[in-house]
Amino acid sequence: MARQGHAVDNGRDAVARLHAAFADGSLQRTPFLDQALRDLDVALEQDAGQKLGGKSAEASRFILRAIVRALDDA
Amino acid sequence: MTVRDALAAYTSETRPEFERNLRAMMDRLFGGPKISEEQKKRVPPGQYVTQKWPVLHYGSVPGTNLATWNFRVWGEVENPFSFTWDEFRKMPRKKVHTDVHCVTRWSRLDMDWEGVPIQHILERAKLKPSAHYVLEHCEQGYTANLPLEVLDDDDVMLADVADGAPLTAEHGHPLRLLVPKRYFWKSAKWIRGLEFLPKDQLGFWERYGYNNNADPWKEERFSDD
Repeated sequence: MARQGHAVDNGRDAVARLHAAFADGSLQRTPFLDQALRDLDVALEQDAGQKLGGKSAEASRFILRAIVRALDDA
Repeated sequence: MTVRDALAAYTSETRPEFERNLRAMMDRLFGGPKISEEQKKRVPPGQYVTQKWPVLHYGSVPGTNLATWNFRVWGEVENPFSFTWDEFRKMPRKKVHTDVHCVTRWSRLDMDWEGVPIQHILERAKLKPSAHYVLEHCEQGYTANLPLEVLDDDDVMLADVADGAPLTAEHGHPLRLLVPKRYFWKSAKWIRGLEFLPKDQLGFWERYGYNNNADPWKEERFSDD
């Protein structure tokens, strides 16, 4: 889930891959995953003409780590 | 850490840590901000003093229309209510002179805050005996949680003025909660409501690894601290 590279790009990539996994049935939605995806969406949301806040990368790292932990525990 | 070590460790991934180390080194080399012995005693372990006010948040800075803005108080209360910006400005106000401490290791001393004391909100809400925790609800779905005994302190307020000027957009305009005895992420920016709860419910950062208690004097930064 967490690849080498910038955490914001990793986060966006992870969101796309998780949605794809839900769509093809290889991963089941859980309340935790839904919450984490919602949080990741907000943390990475970038309004036109604005820079992302300095904590977006950290939020992405923390959320991806929690998702990986949840998937490992599943 | 030496300058060479810091540069060797630098990647876009480690940039925040690199910048913190660099600031700490600069402070050591050049003495940092001049602070008195009395002020030094007010700096928690692992913190450095800055005279700037760093801007830290995730996502974009939300825009606020004060004509439609409102604030909601609900949950384990006898009197759920909401108020507009004009109503907020007519509430009783107080000033607090205090220090703030960010989990990212900066501390800003001797800040002057103005706003509405949290006790005014608590009295108006008439908390039920079952109210033990509060969840701060903010723009963009951000949340932070506190026990009631931490919220109900005489230096806690809904603040709209800092150091004599209205909060700027990046610092939480129009309103942020001020909770000086906890790391600053608990002083949530762009706050829009308080939900009183019988049981603790983790906020945004607390869900993903920040310490639930967040006492700077105990260096409670992360959940494994």
